[in-house]
Amino acid sequence: MSVTWHLDDDALDSYVAGSAPPALAASVEAHVLACAGCRERLVPAVALPRLDRIWDDVVERIDAPVPRPVERLLLRLGVRDDTARLLAATPSLRAAWFLSVFAVLGLALLSAHATDRGVVVFLALAPLLPVAGVAMSYSPLTDPVHELATAAPYSSLRLLVVRSAAVLTATVLLAGAAAMLLPGASWLAVAWLLPALALTAGTLALSTWFEPLHSALGLATLWLAVTAPAFAPNSDPLLVVRSGAQLACLAVLVVALGTVAVRRDAFSLSMGRSV
Amino acid sequence: MTAVRAQELVKAYGRKRALDGVTLTAGTGVTGLLGPNGAGKTTLLRAVATVLAPDEGQLRLLGMDPSDPKQRVEIRRRLGYLPQEPGFHRSFSTFEMVDYVAVLKEQTERRARHDEVRRVLELVGLQDVSSKKVRALSGGMRRRLGLAQALLGEPELLVLDEPTAGLDPEQRMRFRDLMSQAGEDRAVLLSTHQTEDVAALCSSVVVVDRGRTLFTGTVPSLVAVAAGRVWVDEVRDPSALAGWRLGSGLFHHVGNPPAGAQLVDATLEDAYLLLLGGQPAQVAA
Repeated sequence: MSVTWHLDDDALDSYVAGSAPPALAASVEAHVLACAGCRERLVPAVALPRLDRIWDDVVERIDAPVPRPVERLLLRLGVRDDTARLLAATPSLRAAWFLSVFAVLGLALLSAHATDRGVVVFLALAPLLPVAGVAMSYSPLTDPVHELATAAPYSSLRLLVVRSAAVLTATVLLAGAAAMLLPGASWLAVAWLLPALALTAGTLALSTWFEPLHSALGLATLWLAVTAPAFAPNSDPLLVVRSGAQLACLAVLVVALGTVAVRRDAFSLSMGRSV
Repeated sequence: MTAVRAQELVKAYGRKRALDGVTLTAGTGVTGLLGPNGAGKTTLLRAVATVLAPDEGQLRLLGMDPSDPKQRVEIRRRLGYLPQEPGFHRSFSTFEMVDYVAVLKEQTERRARHDEVRRVLELVGLQDVSSKKVRALSGGMRRRLGLAQALLGEPELLVLDEPTAGLDPEQRMRFRDLMSQAGEDRAVLLSTHQTEDVAALCSSVVVVDRGRTLFTGTVPSLVAVAAGRVWVDEVRDPSALAGWRLGSGLFHHVGNPPAGAQLVDATLEDAYLLLLGGQPAQVAA
C-alpha cells in the first residue's frame, strides 16, 4: 500500500510539542508507522529529554510496586505514601498481631460475662495490649531492619511516634469496641483507657534506658502485681479503675511523656544489645 | 578530609572489652579491616555507622562528632551501611525493601525515590527481580540487596560489614568490582576475614585483634612484614609460628626461619598470620 499524503509542518510541530489533540496525535502515529519519509522528518525534531521523561513515566507506571493492603487502607485515610511505607513495615501491624488481640479480648469478655467478678480480667488485660503492640513495633528483637533504621537519618523518635500512634489507634479501637460489650456500669467501657495510655507511655520512657520488649515485660509484671488484689474474693473488682487509680495513672502518663521528651536522643542509638 | 578518624576507642560489654583502644583512619578509597572472628570488627563498624556509642575515645566521621545528636543525623545523611546480618522484611518485594530504606533515608518524594531505588537495583544487577519477594531471593542476591540499600543517595562514606561472606567466587568478583568502583571517589570501610579480598581491592589495610589495632598501612607494607620470614621444607618445622602442608607435599612455614632455610615470597596471608602470632587453626591445611 502506498502512502498518498504526508504530514504537514503544523501537525508535525504540534505532535512533537505534545500539544496535538488526541485524534490528530493518533493519526500522526498511525501515519509515521507506515511512512518512512515522515518518520525521518519526525525523529530529529523530538527533544531527547522529553523522550526520556516519557520513558521514565512508563517505567514508573509499570514498575512501581502495588501498595500492600495495609498501605492502601492508610493511603485512603489520607496518610502520605512514605509514612504508609514505614507503617507497612511495623512488626505489630500484622495479621498475627491482630489475631492475638482478638483472642485476648474474646477471652476477657467471656470471663466478664461468666462470673460477677470476671470483669477484672478485662480491666487487667486490656491496658497491656497497646503496651505489647508498641514495644514490638520498634524493638530490635522484633524489627528485622532495626539496625538499618537506626543508622538512617530518619528520626528514630518520629518513627517510634508514628508507629506507636498507629498501633495504639488500632488496638484502642478494638479494645474499645470489646469494652462496649462489658456487663455492668457504662463508664467501664472507657475506664481502662487511662491505664493503657500510662502503661504505653511508661514503656516508651523505660525504653530510653532498656530494650523495649524488656521494658514492656517489666511494666506488665508491675501492673499485674498492682491489680492482683482486685482478683481476691471479697475485694473490690474495680479497684484498679477507681478515681484514685486513675489519678495515679495520669501522674505516670505525665512523668513518662516528660521523660521521653527529655531523653529523646537515646532512641537514635542501639540500646542494650551486644552483638 | 579524612572520612573516619577513630582514636583509642573502648567499648565494653560487662567485663568483656570488645574494643580496647582501637585506632583507625580511613580516607577516600577502600580500606580493609582484617581480623579473626571476635576481634571487634563488627563493634568498630557499628560505632562508625553511628549505631553504637563507644564508652571512651574520640571518633570523628566526615569531620563531625557522632556523639552530638545533630551532627549524628548529618553524618547519617551521608552514610551507607551494610550490617553483618542486614535484616529484611521478608514479605516485602526487592523493590519495596529498598524503597523502605530510602524512606528512612529521608527521600520523601515518591517519584524521585522510586528512580533512585531503580538506579541502585540496576547497579547491583537486581533490576530483573525487583518484584520478587525477599524471601524468594538466594543468599547471594540478598547480599546484593544489602549493598543496594547501602548505595542509596550516593553516600560519601560506605561501611560494609563482611560484604563478601557467603558469596561464591563469581559473585565475589562482581562484588569486589562494585566496591572498587565505589571507592574511586568516596571512602569505603569494609571488614573481612578473607585476606584475598584485601589483596584484591583495598588501598589500605587495618589489622585488628582483641579490640586493638595491630597494623595500619598499605597492602605492600603489610606483606613486607613477612619478608624473609616464610620458608618451605620437606618436613614440618615445629619451631615455626604457623605451618601447613601444601598440595605439592612441601610444608609452608611462617615465623623465624632456621639458618639455611629455603625462603619464599611472602603473601598477605603470611603477614597476617605473623601479626596475629600464628594461630594454625585459622589456616585450612
